[in-house]
Amino acid sequence: MTSQRVLPQSKESLLQNYNKRLKDDIRSILDNFTEIIKTAKVEDETQVFRATQAEQDHYEMHVRAANIVRAGESLMKLVSDLKQFLILNDFPSVNEAISLRNQQLRTLQEECDKKLISLRDEIAIDLYELEEEYYSSSCGQWDGVELPLCEAFHRRDSWGSPETTSDLSHANPEDSDHLGTQESMHGSSTSEQS
Amino acid sequence: MANDRLRALEDVEKEIALVLQSAGTIVLELSKEKANASLLDRQLNQFQTSINRVENELSAQIRYLTQVATGQPHEGSTYSARKDCQMALNRAEYARVKLGELGRTCEIMLDPQT
Repeated sequence: MTSQRVLPQSKESLLQNYNKRLKDDIRSILDNFTEIIKTAKVEDETQVFRATQAEQDHYEMHVRAANIVRAGESLMKLVSDLKQFLILNDFPSVNEAISLRNQQLRTLQEECDKKLISLRDEIAIDLYELEEEYYSSSCGQWDGVELPLCEAFHRRDSWGSPETTSDLSHANPEDSDHLGTQESMHGSSTSEQS
Repeated sequence: MANDRLRALEDVEKEIALVLQSAGTIVLELSKEKANASLLDRQLNQFQTSINRVENELSAQIRYLTQVATGQPHEGSTYSARKDCQMALNRAEYARVKLGELGRTCEIMLDPQT
């Protein structure tokens, strides 16, 4: 059961105006066309001279044709107004368009972030190998200030085994601070990209 | 859904042009010495069909708008999703720029001539 919608007076009067324009223009086209066809009939008996009658019919046809064209243009204007009204006030369509657009943008964003995260993972692996190579060579001696990534992973793996527990007690407290710093940096970069 | 209704209104515009065209063809044909009756019939049918179609379609659209129009402005927006997407694209662009710089740095370091 459809309930009566109470529209604001302006919208209701606007739609009634559209209806009226539609009816008037269609009526104008039909009436003027009918009258042109009637006028086209050649009558044997006329009240005035044939030439005068012909001139009158000619002028009348011109006016009625112009009326038909005017009604056609008025209908085109009505269609344009309806399009505008539809775009602004057809809420179901607008909601659907908005949700579709949001979905497209969200999909694009997720795809972008997924690719960035996979890129980050690949670069982290390469960086690990590069650091391992660099710091194990003669020119890349670790000075103990900043913990390289490979060393951090080594330490993390060795913390799990009990044999290295006693080694940890002799570990430099600065190392754990730098390890925490490195971990927090990696953690913050992860949270930014998500 | 919105595109369907707008497309229907575009078709109505073409029908209106067809109405005027068929009316003109009929009057032109009547002006000849010997009018082609079959052409007149076809054009008249076309004229009547088109004008009925225009009236029915526009009435249906106005009826639909009477049902869905609320009189309030729509406050929906895609701004937040657009902003998030733009930030993701900026992140990707930044990563691309940084990787480009890294690549150039590596090339400079590895170039034996420099």
